[in-house]
Amino acid sequence: MRIFHKKDGGIVQLIDKDEIKEWPVELPLIFIEYIRKNKLPNYNDKNVEKEIEQYLDDILTEIAIPRMISVLDGDDETEIKTVLERIDDLAKKKLELVQPIKSYIEKLDKKSSKKDINKVCGSILSTFIKEENKKKLAEKRKLMRQIEQEFLEGKISDKDYSKARKEYLIMKE
Amino acid sequence: MASKNESWDLKATKQLYQEYLNRSLKGQKRKILPVETVEIDDLNKTEALTRIREFTESIIEKIYQNGRPSIFLPSRTTGNIIWDEENDLLLLGKQIMEKQFHSLASVADMTRLMKVLEKVNELLLKDLHATKREIFYSAVTLFGDQKNSDKCIEDVASMLYTTRNSTHIVASAKGSCVGRLRIRDRNDIIDLEGLGGGGWTISPMLDNIEIIESDAEFILVIEKDAAMMRLAEARFWRKYPCILLTAQGVGNVAVRMFLKRLSKELNLPVFSLVDSDPYGHYIHSVYLRGSKRLSYESPFLATPKIKLLGVLTRDLDKYKIPNSVRIPMNKQDIKRTTDLLNEDFVKKNKNWEEDLKLALKLKIKAEIQAFSSHGFEFLTDRYLPEKLTTGDWI
Repeated sequence: MRIFHKKDGGIVQLIDKDEIKEWPVELPLIFIEYIRKNKLPNYNDKNVEKEIEQYLDDILTEIAIPRMISVLDGDDETEIKTVLERIDDLAKKKLELVQPIKSYIEKLDKKSSKKDINKVCGSILSTFIKEENKKKLAEKRKLMRQIEQEFLEGKISDKDYSKARKEYLIMKE
Repeated sequence: MASKNESWDLKATKQLYQEYLNRSLKGQKRKILPVETVEIDDLNKTEALTRIREFTESIIEKIYQNGRPSIFLPSRTTGNIIWDEENDLLLLGKQIMEKQFHSLASVADMTRLMKVLEKVNELLLKDLHATKREIFYSAVTLFGDQKNSDKCIEDVASMLYTTRNSTHIVASAKGSCVGRLRIRDRNDIIDLEGLGGGGWTISPMLDNIEIIESDAEFILVIEKDAAMMRLAEARFWRKYPCILLTAQGVGNVAVRMFLKRLSKELNLPVFSLVDSDPYGHYIHSVYLRGSKRLSYESPFLATPKIKLLGVLTRDLDKYKIPNSVRIPMNKQDIKRTTDLLNEDFVKKNKNWEEDLKLALKLKIKAEIQAFSSHGFEFLTDRYLPEKLTTGDWI
Protein backbone atom coordinates (compact mmCIF):
# COMPACT_ATOMS: atom_id res chain seq x y z
CA MET A 1 0.00 0.00 0.00
CA ARG A 2 1.09 3.57 -0.64
CA ILE A 3 1.05 5.59 2.61
CA PHE A 4 0.15 9.30 2.92
CA HIS A 5 0.70 11.05 6.25
CA LYS A 6 -1.79 13.66 7.43
CA LYS A 7 -0.83 16.61 9.63
CA ASP A 8 -3.12 15.46 12.43
CA GLY A 9 -1.24 12.15 12.63
CA GLY A 10 -3.79 10.26 10.56
CA ILE A 11 -2.79 8.04 7.68
CA VAL A 12 -4.35 7.33 4.31
CA GLN A 13 -3.37 4.16 2.48
CA LEU A 14 -3.97 3.59 -1.21
CA ILE A 15 -3.31 0.49 -3.25
CA ASP A 16 0.11 0.34 -4.85
CA LYS A 17 0.52 1.23 -8.53
CA ASP A 18 2.05 -2.16 -9.30
CA GLU A 19 -1.13 -3.93 -8.14
CA ILE A 20 -3.27 -1.71 -10.38
CA LYS A 21 -1.28 -2.86 -13.41
CA GLU A 22 -2.95 -6.28 -13.05
CA TRP A 23 -6.51 -4.90 -13.07
CA PRO A 24 -9.06 -5.14 -15.89
CA VAL A 25 -8.20 -2.45 -18.38
CA GLU A 26 -11.02 0.02 -17.61
CA LEU A 27 -10.87 -0.28 -13.82
CA PRO A 28 -7.97 2.12 -13.10
CA LEU A 29 -10.05 4.98 -14.56
CA ILE A 30 -13.00 4.08 -12.35
CA PHE A 31 -10.71 3.91 -9.31
CA ILE A 32 -9.19 7.34 -10.06
CA GLU A 33 -12.60 8.92 -10.46
CA TYR A 34 -13.90 7.19 -7.33
CA ILE A 35 -11.09 8.44 -5.09
CA ARG A 36 -11.20 11.95 -6.57
CA LYS A 37 -14.91 12.33 -6.14
CA ASN A 38 -15.67 10.39 -2.97
CA LYS A 39 -12.56 10.32 -0.83
CA LEU A 40 -10.33 13.34 -1.53
CA PRO A 41 -12.81 15.91 -0.16
CA ASN A 42 -13.05 13.97 3.12
CA TYR A 43 -9.37 13.70 4.04
CA ASN A 44 -9.39 17.29 5.40
CA ASP A 45 -5.71 17.81 4.69
CA LYS A 46 -4.62 19.99 1.78
CA ASN A 47 -1.14 18.48 1.55
CA VAL A 48 -2.41 14.92 1.47
CA GLU A 49 -5.05 15.89 -1.09
CA LYS A 50 -2.32 17.35 -3.30
CA GLU A 51 -0.06 14.31 -2.94
CA ILE A 52 -2.92 11.93 -3.70
CA GLU A 53 -3.98 14.03 -6.72
CA GLN A 54 -0.43 13.65 -8.02
CA TYR A 55 -0.47 9.92 -7.32
CA LEU A 56 -3.77 9.53 -9.19
CA ASP A 57 -2.40 11.54 -12.12
CA ASP A 58 0.57 9.17 -12.22
CA ILE A 59 -1.77 6.18 -12.32
CA LEU A 60 -3.71 7.83 -15.12
CA THR A 61 -0.71 8.64 -17.29
CA GLU A 62 1.45 5.62 -16.45
CA ILE A 63 -1.16 2.87 -16.31
CA ALA A 64 -4.76 3.67 -17.23
CA ILE A 65 -4.33 5.45 -20.57
CA PRO A 66 -1.33 3.45 -21.90
CA ARG A 67 -3.05 0.15 -21.15
CA MET A 68 -6.19 1.11 -23.05
CA ILE A 69 -4.18 2.51 -25.94
CA SER A 70 -1.99 -0.58 -26.16
CA VAL A 71 -5.09 -2.76 -26.47
CA LEU A 72 -6.68 -0.47 -29.09
CA ASP A 73 -3.44 -0.35 -31.05
CA GLY A 74 -3.02 -4.12 -30.95
CA ASP A 75 -4.17 -6.85 -33.32
CA ASP A 76 -6.29 -8.94 -30.99
CA GLU A 77 -9.75 -8.13 -32.29
CA THR A 78 -11.58 -9.99 -29.54
CA GLU A 79 -9.68 -8.05 -26.88
CA ILE A 80 -10.19 -4.77 -28.73
CA LYS A 81 -13.93 -5.42 -28.90
CA THR A 82 -14.10 -6.31 -25.20
CA VAL A 83 -12.22 -3.15 -24.24
CA LEU A 84 -14.32 -1.02 -26.58
CA GLU A 85 -17.50 -2.37 -25.01
CA ARG A 86 -16.16 -1.48 -21.56
CA ILE A 87 -15.21 1.99 -22.78
CA ASP A 88 -18.68 2.34 -24.28
CA ASP A 89 -20.29 1.53 -20.91
CA LEU A 90 -17.93 3.90 -19.16
CA ALA A 91 -18.56 6.68 -21.70
CA LYS A 92 -22.29 6.43 -21.08
CA LYS A 93 -21.75 6.69 -17.34
CA LYS A 94 -18.88 9.20 -17.16
CA LEU A 95 -17.72 10.55 -20.49
CA GLU A 96 -14.85 12.69 -19.20
CA LEU A 97 -13.07 9.53 -18.04
CA VAL A 98 -12.60 8.33 -21.61
CA GLN A 99 -11.87 11.77 -23.12
CA PRO A 100 -8.08 11.10 -23.32
CA ILE A 101 -8.62 8.12 -25.63
CA LYS A 102 -11.16 9.73 -27.97
CA SER A 103 -8.58 10.32 -30.72
CA TYR A 104 -7.51 6.65 -30.59
CA ILE A 105 -11.11 5.54 -31.02
CA GLU A 106 -11.53 7.87 -34.02
CA LYS A 107 -8.35 6.44 -35.53
CA LEU A 108 -9.48 2.86 -34.89
CA ASP A 109 -12.90 3.57 -36.42
CA LYS A 110 -11.23 4.74 -39.64
CA LYS A 111 -8.67 1.92 -39.67
CA SER A 112 -10.89 -1.06 -38.91
CA SER A 113 -13.00 -2.84 -41.49
CA LYS A 114 -14.69 -5.07 -38.93
CA LYS A 115 -18.37 -4.23 -38.62
CA ASP A 116 -18.70 -5.08 -34.95
CA ILE A 117 -15.67 -2.95 -34.02
CA ASN A 118 -16.94 -0.01 -36.09
CA LYS A 119 -20.32 -0.39 -34.45
CA VAL A 120 -18.93 0.00 -30.91
CA CYS A 121 -16.57 2.81 -32.01
CA GLY A 122 -19.60 4.55 -33.53
CA SER A 123 -21.54 4.14 -30.30
CA ILE A 124 -18.71 5.69 -28.23
CA LEU A 125 -18.18 8.55 -30.69
CA SER A 126 -21.90 9.24 -30.83
CA THR A 127 -21.86 9.60 -27.04
CA PHE A 128 -19.18 12.27 -27.49
CA ILE A 129 -21.27 14.00 -30.18
CA LYS A 130 -24.38 13.87 -27.98
CA GLU A 131 -22.40 15.39 -25.12
CA GLU A 132 -21.03 18.14 -27.36
CA ASN A 133 -24.54 18.86 -28.62
CA LYS A 134 -25.82 18.97 -25.06
CA LYS A 135 -23.19 21.56 -24.21
CA LYS A 136 -23.99 23.60 -27.33
CA LEU A 137 -27.71 23.42 -26.54
CA ALA A 138 -27.12 24.57 -22.98
CA GLU A 139 -25.15 27.55 -24.29
CA LYS A 140 -27.85 28.29 -26.87
CA ARG A 141 -30.55 28.04 -24.19
CA LYS A 142 -28.70 30.57 -22.11
CA LEU A 143 -28.36 32.85 -25.10
CA MET A 144 -32.03 32.36 -25.99
CA ARG A 145 -33.10 33.52 -22.53
CA GLN A 146 -31.05 36.65 -23.04
CA ILE A 147 -32.59 37.23 -26.51
CA GLU A 148 -36.11 36.72 -25.07
CA GLN A 149 -35.39 39.32 -22.43
CA GLU A 150 -34.06 41.74 -25.00
CA PHE A 151 -37.09 41.08 -27.24
CA LEU A 152 -39.45 41.81 -24.34
CA GLU A 153 -37.58 45.02 -23.68
CA GLY A 154 -37.94 45.90 -27.38
CA LYS A 155 -34.20 45.93 -27.91
CA ILE A 156 -34.35 43.49 -30.85
CA SER A 157 -36.82 43.13 -33.70
CA ASP A 158 -39.40 40.31 -34.04
CA LYS A 159 -37.54 39.17 -37.17
CA ASP A 160 -34.24 38.71 -35.28
CA TYR A 161 -36.07 37.03 -32.43
CA SER A 162 -37.87 34.52 -34.68
CA LYS A 163 -34.60 33.76 -36.48
CA ALA A 164 -32.84 32.98 -33.18
CA ARG A 165 -35.85 30.98 -31.95
CA LYS A 166 -35.86 28.90 -35.15
CA GLU A 167 -32.14 28.11 -34.80
CA TYR A 168 -32.69 27.08 -31.19
CA LEU A 169 -35.62 24.76 -32.03
CA ILE A 170 -33.67 23.09 -34.84
CA MET A 171 -30.76 22.45 -32.51
CA LYS A 172 -33.09 21.15 -29.82
CA GLU A 173 -34.56 18.60 -32.21
CA MET B 1 -21.77 6.84 33.81
CA ALA B 2 -20.93 7.38 30.13
CA SER B 3 -20.38 10.94 29.16
CA LYS B 4 -20.45 12.12 25.58
CA ASN B 5 -18.16 15.03 26.49
CA GLU B 6 -15.24 12.86 27.50
CA SER B 7 -12.56 13.01 24.86
CA TRP B 8 -10.13 10.24 24.18
CA ASP B 9 -7.13 10.68 21.89
CA LEU B 10 -6.38 6.93 21.43
CA LYS B 11 -2.76 7.77 22.28
CA ALA B 12 -1.65 4.20 23.02
CA THR B 13 -3.27 2.85 19.85
CA LYS B 14 -1.65 5.56 17.72
CA GLN B 15 1.72 4.79 19.32
CA LEU B 16 1.32 1.13 18.50
CA TYR B 17 0.43 1.97 14.90
CA GLN B 18 3.51 4.20 14.66
CA GLU B 19 5.67 1.37 15.99
CA TYR B 20 4.32 -0.93 13.25
CA LEU B 21 4.98 1.71 10.60
CA ASN B 22 8.53 2.31 11.83
CA ARG B 23 9.15 -1.42 11.83
CA SER B 24 7.86 -1.75 8.27
CA LEU B 25 10.09 1.13 7.16
CA LYS B 26 13.06 -0.80 8.49
CA GLY B 27 11.89 -3.70 6.36
CA GLN B 28 9.66 -6.57 7.35
CA LYS B 29 11.45 -9.61 8.65
CA ARG B 30 10.41 -12.58 6.52
CA LYS B 31 8.56 -15.13 8.60
CA ILE B 32 10.70 -18.24 8.82
CA LEU B 33 8.86 -21.33 9.94
CA PRO B 34 10.60 -24.02 11.98
CA VAL B 35 12.25 -26.73 9.86
CA GLU B 36 10.25 -29.47 11.51
CA THR B 37 6.96 -28.01 10.22
CA VAL B 38 5.17 -28.34 6.90
CA GLU B 39 5.25 -25.26 4.71
CA ILE B 40 2.23 -24.59 2.53
CA ASP B 41 1.57 -22.04 -0.22
CA ASP B 42 -1.35 -19.84 -1.13
CA LEU B 43 -1.77 -20.60 -4.83
CA ASN B 44 -3.51 -18.85 -7.67
CA LYS B 45 -5.76 -20.78 -10.07
CA THR B 46 -3.01 -21.69 -12.56
CA GLU B 47 -0.55 -22.73 -9.86
CA ALA B 48 -3.19 -24.90 -8.17
CA LEU B 49 -4.04 -26.61 -11.46
CA THR B 50 -0.35 -27.26 -12.10
CA ARG B 51 -0.02 -28.82 -8.67
CA ILE B 52 -3.01 -31.11 -9.31
CA ARG B 53 -1.51 -32.17 -12.64
CA GLU B 54 1.86 -32.94 -11.05
CA PHE B 55 0.13 -34.88 -8.30
CA THR B 56 -1.93 -37.03 -10.69
CA GLU B 57 1.10 -37.63 -12.90
CA SER B 58 2.98 -38.97 -9.89
CA ILE B 59 0.13 -41.41 -9.19
CA ILE B 60 0.07 -42.57 -12.83
CA GLU B 61 3.81 -43.11 -12.67
CA LYS B 62 3.40 -45.31 -9.58
CA ILE B 63 0.72 -47.32 -11.38
CA TYR B 64 3.14 -47.93 -14.28
CA GLN B 65 5.97 -48.80 -11.90
CA ASN B 66 4.35 -51.33 -9.57
CA GLY B 67 0.58 -51.20 -10.00
CA ARG B 68 0.17 -50.28 -6.33
CA PRO B 69 -0.32 -46.52 -6.12
CA SER B 70 -0.49 -44.65 -2.85
CA ILE B 71 -0.48 -41.07 -1.73
CA PHE B 72 1.40 -39.32 1.03
CA LEU B 73 -0.06 -36.48 3.01
CA PRO B 74 0.81 -34.65 6.23
CA SER B 75 -0.79 -36.21 9.31
CA ARG B 76 -3.29 -33.87 10.96
CA THR B 77 -3.46 -35.68 14.29
CA THR B 78 -3.00 -33.74 17.56
CA GLY B 79 0.41 -35.31 18.01
CA ASN B 80 1.61 -33.65 14.83
CA ILE B 81 0.56 -30.12 15.82
CA ILE B 82 3.43 -27.93 16.90
CA TRP B 83 3.30 -24.51 18.58
CA ASP B 84 5.86 -22.26 16.98
CA GLU B 85 6.87 -19.95 19.83
CA GLU B 86 8.83 -17.56 17.63
CA ASN B 87 5.90 -16.77 15.31
CA ASP B 88 3.19 -17.64 17.84
CA LEU B 89 1.47 -20.04 15.46
CA LEU B 90 0.07 -23.55 15.62
CA LEU B 91 1.65 -25.46 12.76
CA LEU B 92 1.62 -28.94 11.31
CA GLY B 93 4.65 -31.12 11.93
CA LYS B 94 6.37 -33.26 9.32
CA GLN B 95 4.73 -36.59 10.17
CA ILE B 96 3.54 -38.05 6.90
CA MET B 97 0.94 -40.75 6.44
CA GLU B 98 0.51 -43.04 3.48
CA LYS B 99 -2.85 -43.93 1.98
CA GLN B 100 -2.92 -46.90 -0.36
CA PHE B 101 -5.33 -47.30 -3.23
CA HIS B 102 -5.40 -51.09 -3.17
CA SER B 103 -6.16 -51.62 0.52
CA LEU B 104 -9.73 -52.66 1.35
CA ALA B 105 -9.65 -50.48 4.44
CA SER B 106 -8.88 -47.34 2.52
CA VAL B 107 -10.59 -47.90 -0.82
CA ALA B 108 -13.73 -45.92 0.08
CA ASP B 109 -11.65 -43.14 1.55
CA MET B 110 -9.44 -43.00 -1.54
CA THR B 111 -12.42 -42.91 -3.91
CA ARG B 112 -13.90 -40.01 -1.97
CA LEU B 113 -10.57 -38.23 -1.96
CA MET B 114 -10.21 -38.60 -5.71
CA LYS B 115 -13.78 -37.37 -6.22
CA VAL B 116 -13.00 -34.21 -4.24
CA LEU B 117 -9.79 -33.76 -6.23
CA GLU B 118 -11.81 -34.07 -9.45
CA LYS B 119 -14.28 -31.45 -8.19
CA VAL B 120 -11.46 -29.09 -7.22
CA ASN B 121 -9.98 -29.48 -10.69
CA GLU B 122 -13.37 -28.67 -12.22
CA LEU B 123 -13.86 -25.60 -10.03
CA LEU B 124 -10.42 -24.25 -10.91
CA LEU B 125 -10.87 -24.88 -14.63
CA LYS B 126 -14.24 -23.13 -14.65
CA ASP B 127 -13.03 -20.42 -12.22
CA LEU B 128 -15.94 -21.15 -9.89
CA HIS B 129 -16.17 -21.50 -6.12
CA ALA B 130 -18.19 -24.02 -4.12
CA THR B 131 -19.05 -24.46 -0.47
CA LYS B 132 -18.32 -27.63 1.49
CA ARG B 133 -22.03 -28.37 1.42
CA GLU B 134 -22.09 -28.22 -2.38
CA ILE B 135 -19.18 -30.65 -2.56
CA PHE B 136 -21.11 -33.05 -0.36
CA TYR B 137 -24.16 -32.77 -2.61
CA SER B 138 -22.07 -33.38 -5.72
CA ALA B 139 -21.82 -37.08 -4.72
CA VAL B 140 -24.14 -37.75 -1.79
CA THR B 141 -24.15 -41.53 -2.17
CA LEU B 142 -20.37 -41.73 -2.25
CA PHE B 143 -19.80 -39.43 0.72
CA GLY B 144 -22.72 -40.73 2.81
CA ASP B 145 -22.20 -38.02 5.42
CA GLN B 146 -20.87 -34.47 5.09
CA LYS B 147 -18.23 -35.29 7.70
CA ASN B 148 -16.59 -37.55 5.11
CA SER B 149 -16.52 -34.96 2.33
CA ASP B 150 -15.32 -32.26 4.77
CA LYS B 151 -12.42 -34.49 5.82
CA CYS B 152 -11.51 -35.18 2.19
CA ILE B 153 -11.57 -31.43 1.42
CA GLU B 154 -9.00 -30.81 4.14
CA ASP B 155 -7.00 -33.85 2.99
CA VAL B 156 -6.91 -32.57 -0.60
CA ALA B 157 -5.68 -29.14 0.52
CA SER B 158 -2.96 -30.60 2.74
CA MET B 159 -2.03 -33.20 0.10
CA LEU B 160 -1.48 -30.37 -2.39
CA TYR B 161 0.34 -28.36 0.29
CA THR B 162 -1.96 -25.40 -0.17
CA THR B 163 -4.72 -23.48 1.59
CA ARG B 164 -8.33 -24.53 1.31
CA ASN B 165 -9.20 -21.26 -0.38
CA SER B 166 -6.71 -22.07 -3.13
CA THR B 167 -8.82 -25.12 -3.97
CA HIS B 168 -11.82 -22.81 -4.55
CA ILE B 169 -13.78 -24.66 -1.85
CA VAL B 170 -14.86 -21.86 0.40
CA ALA B 171 -16.59 -21.31 3.70
CA SER B 172 -20.13 -19.99 3.58
CA ALA B 173 -20.46 -16.24 4.12
CA LYS B 174 -20.73 -15.61 7.84
CA GLY B 175 -19.01 -12.49 9.13
CA SER B 176 -19.44 -8.85 8.34
CA CYS B 177 -17.19 -5.83 8.16
CA VAL B 178 -17.85 -2.11 8.30
CA GLY B 179 -15.79 1.06 8.64
CA ARG B 180 -13.04 3.04 6.98
CA LEU B 181 -12.22 0.67 4.16
CA ARG B 182 -12.70 0.49 0.39
CA ILE B 183 -12.29 -2.80 -1.44
CA ARG B 184 -12.51 -4.11 -4.99
CA ASP B 185 -14.61 -7.17 -5.70
CA ARG B 186 -13.76 -8.00 -9.34
CA ASN B 187 -15.07 -4.91 -11.20
CA ASP B 188 -16.91 -3.27 -8.31
CA ILE B 189 -15.59 -0.78 -5.79
CA ILE B 190 -17.26 -1.25 -2.42
CA ASP B 191 -17.24 1.44 0.27
CA LEU B 192 -17.60 -0.21 3.66
CA GLU B 193 -18.68 3.08 5.23
CA GLY B 194 -21.64 3.40 2.93
CA LEU B 195 -23.45 0.12 3.47
CA GLY B 196 -25.43 1.01 6.59
CA GLY B 197 -25.00 -0.62 9.96
CA GLY B 198 -25.12 -4.14 8.54
CA GLY B 199 -21.89 -3.59 6.64
CA TRP B 200 -20.37 -5.85 4.02
CA THR B 201 -20.81 -9.60 4.29
CA ILE B 202 -17.27 -10.96 4.15
CA SER B 203 -17.02 -12.81 0.87
CA PRO B 204 -15.57 -16.31 1.09
CA MET B 205 -14.24 -15.79 -2.44
CA LEU B 206 -11.33 -13.78 -1.16
CA ASP B 207 -9.26 -14.30 -4.28
CA ASN B 208 -11.62 -11.79 -5.92
CA ILE B 209 -11.15 -9.21 -3.17
CA GLU B 210 -8.52 -6.50 -3.05
CA ILE B 211 -8.00 -3.72 -0.50
CA ILE B 212 -7.79 -0.43 -2.35
CA GLU B 213 -8.06 2.37 0.21
CA SER B 214 -8.28 2.94 3.92
CA ASP B 215 -7.76 5.74 6.41
CA ALA B 216 -8.38 3.55 9.43
CA GLU B 217 -5.97 3.53 12.37
CA PHE B 218 -6.93 0.22 13.95
CA ILE B 219 -9.07 -2.87 13.48
CA LEU B 220 -11.52 -4.13 16.06
CA VAL B 221 -12.73 -7.72 15.92
CA ILE B 222 -15.96 -8.21 17.81
CA GLU B 223 -17.22 -11.57 19.02
CA LYS B 224 -20.89 -10.74 19.04
CA ASP B 225 -23.32 -9.35 16.54
CA ALA B 226 -25.15 -7.43 19.29
CA ALA B 227 -21.98 -5.51 20.21
CA MET B 228 -21.26 -4.93 16.53
CA MET B 229 -24.74 -3.44 16.15
CA ARG B 230 -24.11 -1.12 19.07
CA LEU B 231 -20.87 0.13 17.49
CA ALA B 232 -22.38 0.35 14.02
CA GLU B 233 -25.35 2.32 15.30
CA ALA B 234 -22.99 4.75 17.02
CA ARG B 235 -21.01 4.99 13.72
CA PHE B 236 -18.00 4.34 15.94
CA TRP B 237 -15.58 4.50 12.98
CA ARG B 238 -16.45 8.14 12.29
CA LYS B 239 -15.14 9.39 15.63
CA TYR B 240 -12.44 6.76 15.97
CA PRO B 241 -11.07 5.82 12.53
CA CYS B 242 -11.30 2.06 12.45
CA ILE B 243 -12.51 -1.06 10.71
CA LEU B 244 -14.99 -3.23 12.61
CA LEU B 245 -15.33 -6.90 11.94
CA THR B 246 -17.43 -9.67 13.41
CA ALA B 247 -17.73 -13.38 12.77
CA GLN B 248 -20.64 -13.89 15.18
CA GLY B 249 -18.64 -16.36 17.25
CA VAL B 250 -15.49 -18.21 16.24
CA GLY B 251 -14.09 -16.78 13.02
CA ASN B 252 -14.52 -19.11 10.05
CA VAL B 253 -11.84 -19.48 7.38
CA ALA B 254 -13.08 -16.51 5.32
CA VAL B 255 -13.22 -14.12 8.28
CA ARG B 256 -9.82 -15.14 9.61
CA MET B 257 -8.23 -14.97 6.19
CA PHE B 258 -9.75 -11.54 5.54
CA LEU B 259 -8.54 -10.26 8.92
CA LYS B 260 -5.09 -11.62 8.19
CA ARG B 261 -5.11 -9.77 4.84
CA LEU B 262 -6.25 -6.51 6.46
CA SER B 263 -3.65 -6.77 9.19
CA LYS B 264 -0.83 -7.66 6.80
CA GLU B 265 -1.58 -5.20 4.02
CA LEU B 266 -2.65 -2.21 6.12
CA ASN B 267 -0.24 -2.95 8.97
CA LEU B 268 -2.77 -1.68 11.53
CA PRO B 269 -3.07 -2.60 15.21
CA VAL B 270 -5.72 -5.30 15.66
CA PHE B 271 -7.81 -5.75 18.81
CA SER B 272 -10.43 -8.23 19.85
CA LEU B 273 -13.50 -7.58 21.94
CA VAL B 274 -14.93 -10.80 23.32
CA ASP B 275 -17.03 -11.91 26.27
CA SER B 276 -15.20 -12.24 29.54
CA ASP B 277 -15.43 -16.03 29.58
CA PRO B 278 -13.21 -18.94 28.49
CA TYR B 279 -15.04 -19.23 25.17
CA GLY B 280 -14.34 -15.56 24.41
CA HIS B 281 -10.67 -16.09 25.24
CA TYR B 282 -10.67 -19.18 23.01
CA ILE B 283 -12.12 -17.13 20.13
CA HIS B 284 -9.33 -14.60 20.62
CA SER B 285 -6.76 -17.43 20.64
CA VAL B 286 -8.05 -18.77 17.32
CA TYR B 287 -7.54 -15.37 15.69
CA LEU B 288 -4.16 -15.08 17.39
CA ARG B 289 -2.45 -18.34 16.50
CA GLY B 290 -4.90 -20.47 14.51
CA SER B 291 -7.00 -23.50 15.34
CA LYS B 292 -5.66 -27.00 15.84
CA ARG B 293 -7.90 -28.45 13.14
CA LEU B 294 -6.60 -26.08 10.47
CA SER B 295 -3.06 -25.83 11.82
CA TYR B 296 -1.58 -26.49 8.36
CA GLU B 297 -3.16 -23.21 7.21
CA SER B 298 -2.20 -21.14 10.26
CA PRO B 299 0.35 -18.91 8.49
CA PHE B 300 -2.51 -17.75 6.23
CA LEU B 301 -5.23 -17.57 8.86
CA ALA B 302 -3.66 -16.39 12.11
CA THR B 303 -3.08 -12.78 13.13
CA PRO B 304 -0.30 -13.08 15.71
CA LYS B 305 -0.27 -9.37 16.51
CA ILE B 306 -3.93 -9.24 17.63
CA LYS B 307 -4.35 -7.85 21.16
CA LEU B 308 -7.05 -8.87 23.61
CA LEU B 309 -8.67 -5.51 24.37
CA GLY B 310 -11.46 -6.92 26.50
CA VAL B 311 -13.58 -7.82 28.21
CA LEU B 312 -10.90 -8.78 30.73
CA THR B 313 -11.79 -10.21 34.14
CA ARG B 314 -10.00 -7.29 35.78
CA ASP B 315 -12.26 -4.88 33.84
CA LEU B 316 -15.29 -6.09 35.75
CA ASP B 317 -14.14 -4.43 38.99
CA LYS B 318 -12.38 -1.54 37.28
CA TYR B 319 -15.58 -0.53 35.46
CA LYS B 320 -17.78 -1.42 38.43
CA ILE B 321 -19.84 -4.04 36.63
CA PRO B 322 -22.69 -4.85 39.07
CA ASN B 323 -22.87 -8.34 40.52
CA SER B 324 -26.34 -8.71 39.04
CA VAL B 325 -24.89 -8.93 35.50
CA ARG B 326 -21.92 -11.14 36.41
CA ILE B 327 -22.55 -14.81 35.77
CA PRO B 328 -21.13 -17.64 37.91
CA MET B 329 -18.88 -20.02 35.97
CA ASN B 330 -20.20 -23.55 35.45
CA LYS B 331 -18.13 -26.76 35.47
CA GLN B 332 -17.46 -26.56 31.74
CA ASP B 333 -16.25 -22.94 32.04
CA ILE B 334 -13.86 -23.95 34.79
CA LYS B 335 -12.55 -26.87 32.73
CA ARG B 336 -12.12 -24.68 29.63
CA THR B 337 -10.29 -22.01 31.64
CA THR B 338 -8.00 -24.64 33.14
CA ASP B 339 -7.36 -26.09 29.67
CA LEU B 340 -6.46 -22.64 28.36
CA LEU B 341 -4.10 -22.09 31.29
CA ASN B 342 -2.30 -25.29 30.28
CA GLU B 343 -1.66 -24.07 26.75
CA ASP B 344 1.93 -23.03 26.06
CA PHE B 345 0.91 -19.82 24.31
CA VAL B 346 -1.03 -18.69 27.41
CA LYS B 347 1.78 -19.64 29.79
CA LYS B 348 4.12 -17.48 27.72
CA ASN B 349 1.84 -14.44 28.06
CA LYS B 350 1.93 -13.55 31.76
CA ASN B 351 -0.81 -10.87 31.53
CA TRP B 352 -3.16 -13.31 29.88
CA GLU B 353 -2.35 -16.05 32.37
CA GLU B 354 -2.99 -13.64 35.25
CA ASP B 355 -6.39 -12.63 33.90
CA LEU B 356 -7.48 -16.24 33.39
CA LYS B 357 -6.27 -17.14 36.89
CA LEU B 358 -8.30 -14.24 38.28
CA ALA B 359 -11.38 -15.54 36.44
CA LEU B 360 -10.76 -18.98 37.92
CA LYS B 361 -10.33 -17.51 41.39
CA LEU B 362 -13.49 -15.38 41.23
CA LYS B 363 -15.37 -18.05 39.24
CA ILE B 364 -17.29 -15.40 37.35
CA LYS B 365 -17.82 -14.46 33.74
CA ALA B 366 -19.64 -11.63 31.94
CA GLU B 367 -20.85 -10.76 28.49
CA ILE B 368 -19.88 -7.64 26.55
CA GLN B 369 -23.49 -6.51 27.00
CA ALA B 370 -22.89 -6.27 30.77
CA PHE B 371 -21.65 -2.72 30.12
CA SER B 372 -25.20 -1.76 29.18
CA SER B 373 -25.88 -1.69 32.92
CA HIS B 374 -24.11 1.71 32.82
CA GLY B 375 -26.13 2.87 29.80
CA PHE B 376 -26.25 1.82 26.16
CA GLU B 377 -23.49 4.29 25.16
CA PHE B 378 -20.99 3.19 27.82
CA LEU B 379 -19.29 0.71 25.51
CA THR B 380 -18.78 3.19 22.68
CA ASP B 381 -18.29 6.42 24.64
CA ARG B 382 -16.21 5.26 27.56
CA TYR B 383 -15.01 1.64 27.73
CA LEU B 384 -13.50 1.22 24.27
CA PRO B 385 -12.05 4.73 23.84
CA GLU B 386 -10.52 4.65 27.31
CA LYS B 387 -8.87 1.27 26.75
CA LEU B 388 -7.60 2.29 23.33
CA THR B 389 -6.19 5.49 24.84
CA THR B 390 -4.55 3.95 27.89
CA GLY B 391 -3.27 0.81 26.18
CA ASP B 392 -5.02 -1.46 28.67
CA TRP B 393 -4.91 -4.64 26.60
CA ILE B 394 -3.22 -8.07 26.64
